[in-house]
Amino acid sequence: MNRMSQSLILVLLGGAVLRVTVLSTTYVNYVKPGFRPYLIAAGVVILVLGVVGLVQEWRQPHTTGKRLAHTGDAGGPAHTDGAAGPASTGVAAGGRGHHHGHDHSQVSRAAWLLCLPVFAIFLISPPPLGAFAARSEEAPPPPPALAAGAYAPLPADKSTPMELGEFIGRAWGDSRRSLAGKKVTLTGFVVRSSKKDRWYVTRMQMSCCAADAIALKVAVLDAERPPDDTWVEVTGTWIAPKTDRIPNGTVPPELTTTEVTEIPQPFEPYE
Amino acid sequence: MPDRAVADPAVEIPPDAWGRRSAVAPVMPWVFGLVILLLLVGRIVLTPVLTAPALQTWATVFVAICVQALPFLVFGVLLSAAITAFVPPSFWTRALPRHPYAAVPVAGAAGAVLPGCECASVPVASGLMARGVTPAAALAFLLSSPAINPVVVVATAVAFPQQPLMVVSRFCASLAVAVLVGWVWLRFGRSSWLRVPSRPPVSGSAWADFRDAMRHDLLHAGGFLVVGGLTAATLNVVVPREWLGSVAGVPVLSVVVLGLLAVVLSICSEADAFVAASLTSFSPTAKLAFLVVGPMVDLKLIALQAGTFGRSFAIRFVPLTFLLGIAASIVVGKVLL
Repeated sequence: MNRMSQSLILVLLGGAVLRVTVLSTTYVNYVKPGFRPYLIAAGVVILVLGVVGLVQEWRQPHTTGKRLAHTGDAGGPAHTDGAAGPASTGVAAGGRGHHHGHDHSQVSRAAWLLCLPVFAIFLISPPPLGAFAARSEEAPPPPPALAAGAYAPLPADKSTPMELGEFIGRAWGDSRRSLAGKKVTLTGFVVRSSKKDRWYVTRMQMSCCAADAIALKVAVLDAERPPDDTWVEVTGTWIAPKTDRIPNGTVPPELTTTEVTEIPQPFEPYE
Repeated sequence: MPDRAVADPAVEIPPDAWGRRSAVAPVMPWVFGLVILLLLVGRIVLTPVLTAPALQTWATVFVAICVQALPFLVFGVLLSAAITAFVPPSFWTRALPRHPYAAVPVAGAAGAVLPGCECASVPVASGLMARGVTPAAALAFLLSSPAINPVVVVATAVAFPQQPLMVVSRFCASLAVAVLVGWVWLRFGRSSWLRVPSRPPVSGSAWADFRDAMRHDLLHAGGFLVVGGLTAATLNVVVPREWLGSVAGVPVLSVVVLGLLAVVLSICSEADAFVAASLTSFSPTAKLAFLVVGPMVDLKLIALQAGTFGRSFAIRFVPLTFLLGIAASIVVGKVLL
């Protein structure tokens, strides 16, 4: 693998990273929003490395062929691209590249694989995890986020917007049953159920990247099922289970629904 | 270098490298343009076809693993290149105890200060070895730094609010495994198994060395990161998690199964505590095994290690670390949890 291909791959990879972070907000499909500055920094470093390599490679025949005749030409580009450091360094590196370049051209062919994420980003442009990832009927519950009894009481007169994680935490982990009889509004996408009388309003919960996402589900009763992966706002009331025993993680809490509104996908698809 | 300096002025006799170079360089913009064009055309032609939900889910997980590991990899490669280019080898002989058996725990404990996940630690460890640090000490650092650094400790404390002992157990068990693996390697390891990346200082400026080392490491480690990402994403999508429920109650088997799950999922060490906490049906010891094994052995890490230190290293180092990780989790879990 020669230096040109190496630099080319770096440029493509850096470009792809910057494309999902700077030119669009696709990165929220894969990682936490707070991760953006690190991604941009990494993308810039990779891109600069690649561009510097390309510039060096491009200049090579000119520097070797015309260095004596046009010393100014050889120094010029190193100055203008800025990243190559002082002009003297650029020339020194360019000249040295001949014998040294072969040591480092021993990069294994595995480096070509770095094109795969680039192709995936450009060609598949992967969407946020949806109904396919959440298809399993038995979703593990999230850990209780707060100690029992730490949930604030809910207003009785109006509907409270709530994250699915909090709803599930209140439903299974709150000994004071603060949800009972209160109207809440949940946001998520639609996942069908194998049971006839219900479907799930679902949100993926992600702690670092989409590989660790788990599905949070609440069963919606008494409502027509929109197509899978439709984003909806569901307003309704929790159906308290008959027993106090917490079913160990296999049953999503249930909601009797008064209103289902289709909405566009929120900026942050994960919870 | 000197022979070319002589050859350059002689215009009638071009140096032999000259023809090759000038053949490559004019092609370069064309190749570049062609790839960009292919991507643009592919976006119009292929993107509407590639919409199967399974493929999209797989691609999301794959891209997510690569994207989220990349900043850490870049950070690790930067640090490693800086170590090779700017830190003189004499620094390490002064910083670490001379006796190798004493250097291992010191290097292991030093892992507590590098806030990165496992993708950063492989290039850093390779940079340390290239600078003359005893391989066993560099390996102890490689294992401990993703598991016991401050960010991971805080993340674990947040994920297990009611179990502060989980943080203590994770710290102790991980450090113990790192030091034990280092000592075992020192006692039984052979230098022929380990491919120490040699980077002789080059005559050019430190900045040029730095740049070359970075490009080389980034491409090399990045390629193997993709191998790990491909495997992990495939298993992530194909293996249903319900399979886990059936073994949750069995004492030792559940520990081994969560250890294996950590290997397969290849979650970043800064996030694995949240996943472990969500595996509510398992015993604390099994969760501890997930936390101890995950940062030390996982698919993307195995690919990275095999690529950096050689295959004969990985087939010995990986099982050793896995077994010691499971053993340490069981012992520490019994004592503390």
